[in-house]
Amino acid sequence: MKKKMIIIGNLIILASIICFCGYKIYQKNHSIVLEFGMFAGSNWDVANANSYVIIDKVIAQFEAEHPGVKVHYTSGIRKTDYSEWYAQQVLIGKTPDVAMILSDDFDKLVSLDVLENLDDMADNDSSFHAEDYYTTALNTGKYRGAQYALPYETVPTLMFVNKSLLNHEGFMVPESDWTWDDMYDICSKITKDLNKDGIIDQFGTCNYSWQEAAYSNGAVLFDEDGKECYFTDQRVIDSVKFAKKLSDLNQGQNVSQDKFDAGNVAFMPLTFADYRTYKTYPYKIKKYSTFKWDCITLPSGPEGDNVSEVNTLLMGIAKQSKHKDLAWELLKLFTYDKDIQLDIFRYSQGASVLKSVTSSKEAEVILSEDTDERERVIDNTLLDVVIEKGIIAPKFNKYHETMILAEGEINKILSDDKNVESTLKIIQRNVISFLKQ
Amino acid sequence: MGDKGIGYVKYIMLIINIVAVSFPAIFIYITTEKICDFYTARSFIGRTNSIPKKPDWILVTTILLLVCLLVSFLLREFVYRERMSFVYSSLAFDFLTSCVLMMVLNFNYNGILFWVFANIIYYVQDKVKMIFMLLAILIYVCTDHEFLTINYHLYSINDYISYYNANTQQYLIGGFNVLESLNIIVFILFCIYVIQKQQGIIEKVNYLYSQLSQKNEELENANEELKQLADIKEKMGKTKERNRLAREIHDTLGHTLTGISAGIDACLTMIDSNPQVTKKQLEVIAKVTRDGIGEIRRSVSELRPDALDRLSLESAIRKMIENMTSVTQAEVFFQCDSENLKFDEDEENTIYRVIQESITNALRHGKASKIWVTIRKENSALHLQIQDNGIGCTDMKKGFGTKHMQERIQMLHGTVSYKSENGFLVDAVIPIRWGEEYD
Repeated sequence: MKKKMIIIGNLIILASIICFCGYKIYQKNHSIVLEFGMFAGSNWDVANANSYVIIDKVIAQFEAEHPGVKVHYTSGIRKTDYSEWYAQQVLIGKTPDVAMILSDDFDKLVSLDVLENLDDMADNDSSFHAEDYYTTALNTGKYRGAQYALPYETVPTLMFVNKSLLNHEGFMVPESDWTWDDMYDICSKITKDLNKDGIIDQFGTCNYSWQEAAYSNGAVLFDEDGKECYFTDQRVIDSVKFAKKLSDLNQGQNVSQDKFDAGNVAFMPLTFADYRTYKTYPYKIKKYSTFKWDCITLPSGPEGDNVSEVNTLLMGIAKQSKHKDLAWELLKLFTYDKDIQLDIFRYSQGASVLKSVTSSKEAEVILSEDTDERERVIDNTLLDVVIEKGIIAPKFNKYHETMILAEGEINKILSDDKNVESTLKIIQRNVISFLKQ
Repeated sequence: MGDKGIGYVKYIMLIINIVAVSFPAIFIYITTEKICDFYTARSFIGRTNSIPKKPDWILVTTILLLVCLLVSFLLREFVYRERMSFVYSSLAFDFLTSCVLMMVLNFNYNGILFWVFANIIYYVQDKVKMIFMLLAILIYVCTDHEFLTINYHLYSINDYISYYNANTQQYLIGGFNVLESLNIIVFILFCIYVIQKQQGIIEKVNYLYSQLSQKNEELENANEELKQLADIKEKMGKTKERNRLAREIHDTLGHTLTGISAGIDACLTMIDSNPQVTKKQLEVIAKVTRDGIGEIRRSVSELRPDALDRLSLESAIRKMIENMTSVTQAEVFFQCDSENLKFDEDEENTIYRVIQESITNALRHGKASKIWVTIRKENSALHLQIQDNGIGCTDMKKGFGTKHMQERIQMLHGTVSYKSENGFLVDAVIPIRWGEEYD
């Protein structure tokens, strides 16, 4: 009996040694594969023909630097499907080692414990300095003070200006430190009935909402966790009042984007990505070709600054990744390598998340390519300031639903002539109770 | 309610647990597939608070662990039932396996504990069964899913159930809850079986114990009676011996003395008139006296110590010493330079009694641990010395049997002296009647 047991024991030990050796040999012969999650096209809902250029370049460089490591990605996932695709990978337990993270998904993924906390990796990497990133961009990837994702590409919101219209009406393009009053002054003089049919057909603004006004007036709508809201804050009240004042100029007419495209609106907020797409070939002939236009900062309110919302595309590492060190290297190559980040200006529509790249001479050269020499090019030092000072939209779970609720009510103020203060008090109450549900 | 009943309960429990353990793993795996097929993953993870890391891995691990538990159960129940070392190690293995299983399932089902504890309770000693029952309930409560979710990120089967429509949800939740409750009920049933069985054994033990104490009492009574009987018998023996002595004295000594007395009276009357006849008469009296002495000797010989009757003096002494040392801690050294210790009965008796009395004194009064007995012949006398290493005796009293000893020795015209330094010494010199004979 005892002999039998010893034999069985030895056999088990032998079998496990063989298994272990086999596994090691298998590992050696089969290269490590890093899964990369990405979507095709632009994160900023603009056309992008070069979505794989940077990715392929990064992968080629990474594979050259790390022999035996392959990076694999699934191509052809559109941005609209990406969130679903990523969620499916998470559910079936095949979360890509490194992946683009949509800002709407970020909070949920962190709270589901899907993304790796990058603080330790960043601290242990002496070649990595978080200060090199724009604070705004970096903060987008933070959750309760910890870094769960790094920024890859960032896009601030800018004010599109119809230069032809302004010049025609005798105005110059405003300076970058212009104010609400400057804007209202121009809008009130521009809003006209040109063909004298009793309906206004030239407008001051389009799509400029109370929210843009609130950002540039220093207002904060929610706390970080989405437990509190501040709709009755004086700065919010002033913003809504300003938006109402602008909207009143249009005498109840709805100003759609078509009117801006047709050249009948002076100002419209759009993203830097729109600017980059439609300012350069081939898309420059598609839109806004009948008038000259440019981008400037948004006007500052009495208590705020010339700031606007900044959107950032994030990349994160999966918590269950088996090759975190390699994943970190790949993530760093995407987000921290100066050449790759400069490629964002070349092949994408956003701006680099590294301060040194966005404010560099090379970036300026790329930005001025393809534009008419007579036109003014957006100043990359201005861009630098706009990104650094930019505002990040809250990311808590109920944010979108809450904003739909609030916006519906505020739109009623703008159209129905309701009292601003008392309506905001009601909104405040409703939103609080919704947040506490 | 025997082992068969408990066996059935165990099988039912095994089936319930196999179903209940595999249900979350299989259900989560299938639902995940379904969610992906219908492209509802994003909205699904938007509603959940935690998700399992790898549903396929969970499914495979769960089935593997279940197989481990099953194999362990079968081996324990049918192959190595008698080997307690295997039984206990397999129970420990079951406990560890079930802990891993609960962790893999994120405590969505922890009823497997009851299965493990039912087995433990079945095999452990009766005294600790209760402890294990309480332990099972305690761990079950502590590993409650809702309770643990407060502090830990645990995926919940309810999130996956909520993916289905309300009607299916009710069936799924109901079914799973029924399984869990059934498992608890069967466990309670099992405990009741075990407790009842244990109760039966206790009652039996109590019954046997009461019978035992009754028998014990009876035995004590019988012992007491026996003691009384022995006393009576001893007294009867003494009376019988006295009667025999009285008869002996009456028959021999009385007869002889009466004859002698009558003969001497006749001689007294005849001595002056007929000295010749008187002389003859006296010769007759002398013969009668000698016969009487013989008779007395015979009577006395019947009163001699047993050992002396049966054995030679030396053997008797050795036997006596052996008896003494066997009942005490003391050592007795016996030395005798005379090869053949064969004396008259009265001499042998005296020597025997002196040695016996001296040793008794040395042990009782001297508290001696070593006693030396030497017998040697010197100038046709026997030197008898009994030396001990006890505390001795400064104030000699002739009460400790020494008086008796002295009388015996004096009767044989011998001398005895006592010395009390370095223990106690009895030194007796007995003139032996070598060749002296009475007939």
